[in-house]
Amino acid sequence: MKTIHKIFTVAILLFISGGTIVGCSSTKNNYTAATDVQEEFKMEKSGAQMWGEACNRCHLAPSPADYNDTDWSTISLHMRVRANLAENEIAKIETFLKSAN
Amino acid sequence: MIVGFGHITYGQTYNNFETDSVTASQPFKPSKTQFMIRGYGHTGLNFMNTEGEKESSYVGSAFAPIFLFKHSDRLMFEAELEFGLEDNELEVGLEYADVMYILNKNMTVRAGKFLLPFGTFMERLHPAWINRLPTTPLGYGHDGIAPSSGIGVELRGAFDLGGPKLNYAVYSTNGPRLKDGSLEPEEAGMLMFQNFEDNNTSKAFGGRIGLLPFADSSTEIGFSTYSTSKVGTTDSEYENTGAFLYAFDFAFIKQIPAIGGFIDIKGQYNNSDIDDATYIEIEDDIEEEYTFDNKSDSFYAQLSYRPTMASNDFLKKLELVGRYSNLNTPEGAEWEEQSDQYAFGLNYWLTWRSVIKVAYQTTDSVGGHDGGGTANGFFMHWAIGF
Repeated sequence: MKTIHKIFTVAILLFISGGTIVGCSSTKNNYTAATDVQEEFKMEKSGAQMWGEACNRCHLAPSPADYNDTDWSTISLHMRVRANLAENEIAKIETFLKSAN
Repeated sequence: MIVGFGHITYGQTYNNFETDSVTASQPFKPSKTQFMIRGYGHTGLNFMNTEGEKESSYVGSAFAPIFLFKHSDRLMFEAELEFGLEDNELEVGLEYADVMYILNKNMTVRAGKFLLPFGTFMERLHPAWINRLPTTPLGYGHDGIAPSSGIGVELRGAFDLGGPKLNYAVYSTNGPRLKDGSLEPEEAGMLMFQNFEDNNTSKAFGGRIGLLPFADSSTEIGFSTYSTSKVGTTDSEYENTGAFLYAFDFAFIKQIPAIGGFIDIKGQYNNSDIDDATYIEIEDDIEEEYTFDNKSDSFYAQLSYRPTMASNDFLKKLELVGRYSNLNTPEGAEWEEQSDQYAFGLNYWLTWRSVIKVAYQTTDSVGGHDGGGTANGFFMHWAIGF
């Protein structure tokens, strides 16, 4: 048990310290040329589609009309962390909910 | 006259009320700082038949308000209280209370008391308006083998891999404490996860990684671990007793036109391995030492179906659900138990967050607190999220 715990502890500490360094480092994108072209042709899901997929993973998808824009921004931040949703996913869902309420 | 008009003419005019902020502003202008109360509650009627001993009771309205304080677009405080009636007393609990900060698009840090991502049931699925059955599977809750919350710090986030998605969480908490049997001899060797003040210097470390391999996010598979080198109290003979827990979870949710509705499959396997230790039992005023291989596991699988594509509005709101769960605790322990449970339910969704649940559940046990046997239950509950 001790050996497992030591290996596990070191792995977790390395992950946290490495992740923090990466997370707190500059996020400026130095290579912009190629990605701009790719973005132009990328087919992306709509916020409505993501709302149907992501929310239903745990509970029934909420009615957009049940909350106002202010409430949706609070709920979106809460759900982003609680359900561990990707940033672009929750951003699109929030935009959809605010547009459809 | 000249002095009077001159005074009025050259007087300040910027506050003439025509352009006052009250009339010129929008009727509703949201601020960045927002406070919101959400939550859920449920109530119902339980009929239980345990080896011929019948009881029925309206179960008290559980009320669980969730307080959300959004300080900015990155900073939030969240807390959930839980009020419930049990054994003729009002029980109040702090389910979680933590502060979270978005570091970047892939990383969020949380600190405080938070729900642990050990599998998905306790973190995401246990609230009454989300859980498809009125009861929890074996292995969770009181005397469960899976941790539900902890006090510490956590780093979590998610990555969009261009279709598939990956999410992770790593954390450190006070960890559990070992029940040594001095207070409750029949629970010697169990872990108590409500460890508000650490009983030793060792912290628990844990994490979960979840993968959604398909672009439609219909499937998620997850692996969680939770480890600590010390669960005993400092300077006690159990100080160096360690524990290692792990869990696998699975989820599949998809609307399938061929069957006219949503299919929802969920499952989780939990395994707990605690270092062997020697405990004391007292029989006829004589103390006897005993030990056992302190390994436990539990499992549940749940299948539900909602005919959302039916032409009839009533049928659309129905949901059929079935669940199997199993619990095995250590052979030789005072709390040794082998249980199998089947639960079947029919739900009616009044709205997306309000459901009436009718369910039948049967549990076959060998050992355990009540000595084993068969317990059958019939439940009618109403749960609402708000």
